[in-house]
Amino acid sequence: MSKMGTLYAPGDSVFHRMDGSIKMLLFAAWTITTFLFLDLRVFIVMLLIGTILLLSAKIPFRQIRILLWVMIVFNVFNTAFIILITPTYGSELTGTNTPVLNIGYNTINLETLFYVLTLTAKYLTLLPVSLLFIFTTHPSKFASSLNRIGVPYKIAYAVNIAFRYIPDIQSEFRGITNSMQMRGIGFRKGDAPFTQRVKNVTSIAIPMLYSSLQRIEVVSNAMELRGFGKHKRRTWYAMEDLRAMDYTVGALCILVTASAIWLKIGVLSGFWYPF
Amino acid sequence: MISFQQFSFQYQKLTEPTLRNINLEIQPGEKILIAGPSGSGKSTLAHCINGLIPFTYEGKIEGTMTINGEPTTGKSIFEISKTVGTILQDLDGQFIGLSVGEDVAFSFENDGIPRKQMREEVERALTTVNMLPFIDQSPHDLSGGQKQRVSLAGILSTQADILLFDEPLANLDPASGKQAMQMIDDIHKQTGKTIIIIEHRIEDVLEQPIDRIVVMSEGEIQAIGTPDEILASDVLRKHGLREPLYIEALKYAGCELSTADKLAQLNNMRLPKFEHALEAWYESAAASTEVQNREPLLDVQNLRFAYDEAHEVIRGVSFQVHEGEIVSLLGNNGAGKSTLSHLIMGIVRQTSGEIRLQGEDIRPWNIRLRGEKIGYVMQNPNQMITQHMIWDEVALGLTVRGMSKEIVDQKVEHVLRICGLYPYRNWPISALSYGQKKRVTIAAVLAMEPKLIILDEPTAGQDYKHYTEFMEFISSLSQTGLSFIFITHDMHLALEYTDRAVVLSGGEVIASDRVASVLTNAEVIERANLKETSLSMLSRMIGLPSAEGFVQHFINYEKKVKHHE
Repeated sequence: MSKMGTLYAPGDSVFHRMDGSIKMLLFAAWTITTFLFLDLRVFIVMLLIGTILLLSAKIPFRQIRILLWVMIVFNVFNTAFIILITPTYGSELTGTNTPVLNIGYNTINLETLFYVLTLTAKYLTLLPVSLLFIFTTHPSKFASSLNRIGVPYKIAYAVNIAFRYIPDIQSEFRGITNSMQMRGIGFRKGDAPFTQRVKNVTSIAIPMLYSSLQRIEVVSNAMELRGFGKHKRRTWYAMEDLRAMDYTVGALCILVTASAIWLKIGVLSGFWYPF
Repeated sequence: MISFQQFSFQYQKLTEPTLRNINLEIQPGEKILIAGPSGSGKSTLAHCINGLIPFTYEGKIEGTMTINGEPTTGKSIFEISKTVGTILQDLDGQFIGLSVGEDVAFSFENDGIPRKQMREEVERALTTVNMLPFIDQSPHDLSGGQKQRVSLAGILSTQADILLFDEPLANLDPASGKQAMQMIDDIHKQTGKTIIIIEHRIEDVLEQPIDRIVVMSEGEIQAIGTPDEILASDVLRKHGLREPLYIEALKYAGCELSTADKLAQLNNMRLPKFEHALEAWYESAAASTEVQNREPLLDVQNLRFAYDEAHEVIRGVSFQVHEGEIVSLLGNNGAGKSTLSHLIMGIVRQTSGEIRLQGEDIRPWNIRLRGEKIGYVMQNPNQMITQHMIWDEVALGLTVRGMSKEIVDQKVEHVLRICGLYPYRNWPISALSYGQKKRVTIAAVLAMEPKLIILDEPTAGQDYKHYTEFMEFISSLSQTGLSFIFITHDMHLALEYTDRAVVLSGGEVIASDRVASVLTNAEVIERANLKETSLSMLSRMIGLPSAEGFVQHFINYEKKVKHHE
């Protein structure tokens, strides 16, 4: 995590230069498209495109490694559960049944295995674009981007405030736990029985709540004294004008989503099973 | 012009008015200091001026208040903020933007100024406060003084003709505080804006010229006058405020002060009149520098620490704290004070070097084990208190250690009596004042029976009266053999209540000596962002043989006076 408390990885790729609102649009279009289909061919194409886009952003692998692992572990568990709990679910989608492995109470069939493969590809498809959005959008630009796509600025600004104060709250939390530990109150494994530790952690809530209330008072006074909420609209220091590239990508997103819907209705409506 | 006539204000939730019968006129272009102890109503007065009262804090107003001839009632806070710009006390909390540029731009954004113009204005505002190179930095990279400059740039950009500073010196190290006052003065001279400063650290504010001082106490204005008039009288002391040290020295030396003596600024003062008395007072100093050979309690040897390989933050630090000794740890922001205290507490571990407590190497001890011998009290008591009742808070650490109820009760009772909290033992903590809460946190740590207590900014947020009470209490604890380390920016505190100062700069100890000696050493002062006291300046100006001796005499004399009171 950077000092800003966000995952932003500085760089100078097309995505770093692209406006935040367009990236949000891209993310939305990508997600809609992914959820429309249950077709491995579509996902492979999208996964390929997504990976190329991600590589072009040159985000250091070190930074995305953890998220990548989280995704892989999630997929493994998801897959295992589907196979073990509903080993013949695939048949419901295809109407055929090709047994592969007997696991006692039931038989896993080829249709289910293929379904699980498709589902995994589906989730993986979402990964590159989410990473792009999270890692290439400067935190300062989140709020203005939200405002640009129609979120009222008073709500959008809450995002800014969160980015601004999360690191402060984190360091305060560390300070409080340190002083509690000095008084013999344990938070780590081995310090105290589990139930006691849970109790100890919850007792931090009081000083944290107190200081948060105070912080809110200061921030809202400071904001009010400098005219926040004066007018119906406000401008954004961190916002940039949309450029030709932004318009192009934006139009492309809408076009792709529209054609995806057409494709869904007309051609690739169901679960694709080649066998 | 700001004008209060027969003005009173009562917060909705309180039964008594916080401000009573305020009659005050502040002329355009005037630079005015509003001083008063905690609870005197000075912050409430500030809220009335900037419009937070009645828009955020509701209550009952009597009498009238006008800004530039127009009554503020019926105006919105936004209209008032066009005329009055406020710099709040909490430098960190009021920094709204994610970067310096964004923070300065905040009021432009709210006014809907087009982006291109906004950037130009932001750059111009940052240039006035010399912060342009920091435009893309985040607040975490800035020191307190720099954050204050950014806030000031943000306010300057609004074109308000009245600037209101709410305790601008809180949380700044001495040198940054001095710079802050200098900067406020420069802006006053360049722009001719009305400047209102709310502060209780009068000496530091008076380093720059001030037109008038308003002394407040118990919700009323007690005195209004030029600094010369106020300093020549006893009004500050009478209302629980601290006079500048050089004024105290003059009074101790038995000098007759009058308004004509130009007391407000040391450099302009009519010194010849006082020289004789001061010299006589200095010579009366008893040469009793008691050298006590006490056992070292904490022994830090050649300590080194680095968060990462490239930057070593503690670079070979050695110092000792003896039994019953109070040591102040001084130094600029980033000098390594907090890291050093974290090393002692075991929050981080040294890369090399030793920390010995009563002769034993405590390297293998974890944070909780160290906590049995070393107590740590945070600056803000609200960050330490987790229980609703005083008794439970103090008992917490003991109960966790698995002591029986009788022993816990016995110890808690004993500690509460020492701390003067016994009458409140069954009170909810929320009913206590800030200073009392601070005592509760000390009591909670004392109950663990430590040998050494580390206090982070022990007197922050307390006025002179509470400060004195609290520090007398800490001194009395040290008489019982308990040792203390104060981490502080407060020179007066270090001077009056600590036996020795350890000064850090760039992760190294650059001085470890009696405070009077450290604070008269120009090189140490310069390197550690400290400030020469007015006492040593005074002594130099009249050509006394030893500034250190003069400062030490002052401290000894003051202790005697306080104990007689």
